[in-house]
Amino acid sequence: MLKTYLKRCIFCLALCFAVSSHAHNPPYLIISEIESGRLTFENEQIAAEYAAASKRLRIRRLEAMPWTKKIYVFIKAGFEHIIPDGLDHILFVLGLFFSSLKLRPLLIQVTAFTLAHSITLILAGLGLVKIQGSFVEPFIALSIVWIAVENTLFKKTTRWRSLVVFMFGLLHGLGFANLLSQYGLPKNNFISLLFAFNVGVEFGQLFVLLLAFIVAKTLFKNSWESGKIRVPASILIGCAGLHWLFQSLV
Amino acid sequence: MGLLIFASCQQNPKMNDNINPFFQEWNTQYQVPPFLQIKDEHYMPAFEKGMEENLAEIDSIVNNPEEPTFENTIEELERTGKLLTKVQRVFSNLAGSNTNPKLQELQRELSPMISAHYDKIALNEGLFLRVESIWNNRENFSLTDEQIKLLKDTRKQFIRSGALLDSNQKEEITKINSKISELSTQFGQNLLAETNGFELILDDDELDGLSDGVIAAASESAAQKMNEATSPEEKAKYENKYVFTPHRSSMYPFLTESTRRDLREILYKSYVMRGDNNNENDNKEIAVEIANLRAQKAEIMGYKTHAHFILEDNMLKSPEEVYDLLIKLWEPALKRAKSEVLDMQAVSDSEGNNFKIAAWDWWHYSEKVRKAKYDLDEAELKPYLSLDNVIKGVFNTTNKLWGLTFTEIFDIDLYHPDARIWKVTDKDGSHLGIFIGDYFTRSNKRGGAWMSSFKGQSNLDGRERPVVVNVCNFPAPVGDDPSLLSFENVTTLFHEFGHAMHGTLTNVTYPSMAGTSAPRDFVEFPSQVLEHWASEPEVLKSFATHYQTGEPMPDELIEKLLKASKFNQGFINTEYLAASLLDMDWHTITSDVVLEDANSFEASSLAKIGLIDEIAPRYRSTYFAHIFSGGYSSGYYSYIHAAVLDSDGFEAFIEAGDVFDETLSSKLRKHVYEKGSTEEAMDLYVKFRGRKPIIEPLLKVRGLDGKPD
Repeated sequence: MLKTYLKRCIFCLALCFAVSSHAHNPPYLIISEIESGRLTFENEQIAAEYAAASKRLRIRRLEAMPWTKKIYVFIKAGFEHIIPDGLDHILFVLGLFFSSLKLRPLLIQVTAFTLAHSITLILAGLGLVKIQGSFVEPFIALSIVWIAVENTLFKKTTRWRSLVVFMFGLLHGLGFANLLSQYGLPKNNFISLLFAFNVGVEFGQLFVLLLAFIVAKTLFKNSWESGKIRVPASILIGCAGLHWLFQSLV
Repeated sequence: MGLLIFASCQQNPKMNDNINPFFQEWNTQYQVPPFLQIKDEHYMPAFEKGMEENLAEIDSIVNNPEEPTFENTIEELERTGKLLTKVQRVFSNLAGSNTNPKLQELQRELSPMISAHYDKIALNEGLFLRVESIWNNRENFSLTDEQIKLLKDTRKQFIRSGALLDSNQKEEITKINSKISELSTQFGQNLLAETNGFELILDDDELDGLSDGVIAAASESAAQKMNEATSPEEKAKYENKYVFTPHRSSMYPFLTESTRRDLREILYKSYVMRGDNNNENDNKEIAVEIANLRAQKAEIMGYKTHAHFILEDNMLKSPEEVYDLLIKLWEPALKRAKSEVLDMQAVSDSEGNNFKIAAWDWWHYSEKVRKAKYDLDEAELKPYLSLDNVIKGVFNTTNKLWGLTFTEIFDIDLYHPDARIWKVTDKDGSHLGIFIGDYFTRSNKRGGAWMSSFKGQSNLDGRERPVVVNVCNFPAPVGDDPSLLSFENVTTLFHEFGHAMHGTLTNVTYPSMAGTSAPRDFVEFPSQVLEHWASEPEVLKSFATHYQTGEPMPDELIEKLLKASKFNQGFINTEYLAASLLDMDWHTITSDVVLEDANSFEASSLAKIGLIDEIAPRYRSTYFAHIFSGGYSSGYYSYIHAAVLDSDGFEAFIEAGDVFDETLSSKLRKHVYEKGSTEEAMDLYVKFRGRKPIIEPLLKVRGLDGKPD
């Protein structure tokens, strides 16, 4: 044990003296070189260590918050994950919006999507399902392309549409879970915060739909009816989806 | 796609981003440096301006037309250099704990600039004349004891820099100083070259006894060498090979595990022969030359030897006192070491070997003895020692001793997200200081553990409380598990926390006397004494709870742990004391002694004390960097001196029958942790302990008292 004392003491002494009133040449520089070798700087490693430390810091800060504040923070996080950060999810929801002129099928689809991504978010959040982000990303992009293609080619939505949307919802949930795990969830109140995050995501989604609805009803009342907006908008959404698809594959 | 924005509670000091933060008031919480605003390019201009301002302040003190008084000279000196100190504290901390190539380059650039700057002040004749005149008139000023001590210390600094010498002598001293500094640098460079210059390159069939981890590390260093190799032949040399070097981190595991006695001998000898190979990196002549120059310098300064010159500032005031201590400890240590040799010989003989244990066998056979005799598995301890629990444990200890409370602060941004910050509050609710703990190892942090501060304590112009920091290199958490410490880590944490308390409880008037500005052989007392609480069963049980089950550490495990602390103490103390005595021998020669050869000097020094062949001094002369290229000449004994104090100091609590005895803990605080260097260290100790320190408690703690474990 004395060995480590020695090493330790060199440092603490040296540093104490280095900054105390009238400093002599700090002796620790030379000694520490010998004792511990040179430091090598590998940027990737330093960045990875920094990210891990940032996560620990966030969790510490979160754990120190009162319960209500934590809930608020996670609802906000879920919301921000859609607006403004989740452009891919926004486009997917808009894709659903452009698919149907009637409220009922839209509600069914949105509910299916919500149910599905809640299931996977919670399963992944609890650690029951583990899937790499790099695996999920291309599928999320593909889901956007698929919805856009459907919107463009078919006048009416297919019977299987709700099921397809449900499957895509499962994927999107995994995407949310990945980001949430990078972000870190405090261990106490785990479930309630996971739930709060999900609620935030729903709010974000509803907000997108509401906005789309208002815009459509006020600005494009006529062209909307004839599908003039529906097709070009879906093509744009599809292009964005394709772009992400290539990006995630490369 | 990121959700990094939320939940960040940024601190927003009202500062102008375009101005160098060192040139602005820090109206941050508790004056914690505004780390996010400080960029690498801010340091140099701040250092330059800081030095310039500092010299201007000195000039205005010297040119003050009024008669020199304590207030207009000594006290004013305490107010100088604020900007320089401000930048120096931040820089020297971050250059150690969160460095980068730019900071390292700055460090090399700044080091000579800063020492030249302080030399300028120390050699300022006008300033010294004012100090001297106050000293001579000190009876006529009504000065407090603290003021007298400050006056005395300030004056002594000038004198020790040569203020009383005539101009010829001054010139001589300058020459000697620069020669010594040149030789010291050379010594260090030679040593580095020698340590890096030897490799034991092994094949697959030479790894007998080595564990997977050790083999992997050796294979990794071979791969690294291959990467660095410039020619194909050189690359081939390392291909599919395993490399061991005389760096301790590589050598100790090999010496412990390898069953190849011949290879152990080769690696061990490469280590102890560093600087002694009669090549261009030889340190023998340099050591002799440095010792001679130091003796000459001491004579010019009016001291008998270099050791007399150095020790004047310490708690032990003369070489006689140091020798007396070391020799008293030597006999019991050597006796135990000899019995350890017998234990190892018995193990070796029982294996059917037919050789006498040699120095390169020590690690291998002591490990076997350890397993047989102490049988402590570190892995069994770790689940009880999660970092968070240990931090709570040390906080609780100071709460029980002095009533301190620690409140974590979450809205201050530090230099790295792993650094944590607490507000320290005294028993009566008043603010004592800020404690920063930066515990995990990372690639841009130096090895080891240390304490430092970002802001000092002073009562000179209002009550200013400190900001102190502990930096360690504990393993970072893996996955969802918390960081689990070894017991050695735990004592390190308590140790550094002891320094932190010395820096936090300090309550003195003048900044230069605050906190850890105590003599070198005393400053480790506040840190080492706190370690005793970590291994006190009552305390250990309160914080060492299993991170999953919450169960406290079982009694039998605690017992094993405490017993194991006596393992190998004969060896550890003997090698250390031999080096300390060697250090003293080198520095108690007078200038008229003609030293011829470093090896024969060393041999006779070691023969005099009867060191056994199975042990080499912790450092042989040719690689004793502490004394020949660091700042530890005639100071290497300090560690064990502080150990005498901490064992004896803690013994007082044992005698009182309560490790949190109120009277003792308040004395410890009042006379040790609060006082900085406002009184002589020995006086402080005696005020706390009621008498001078004795060595018996240390002998007991280290198992050198001749009693069975």
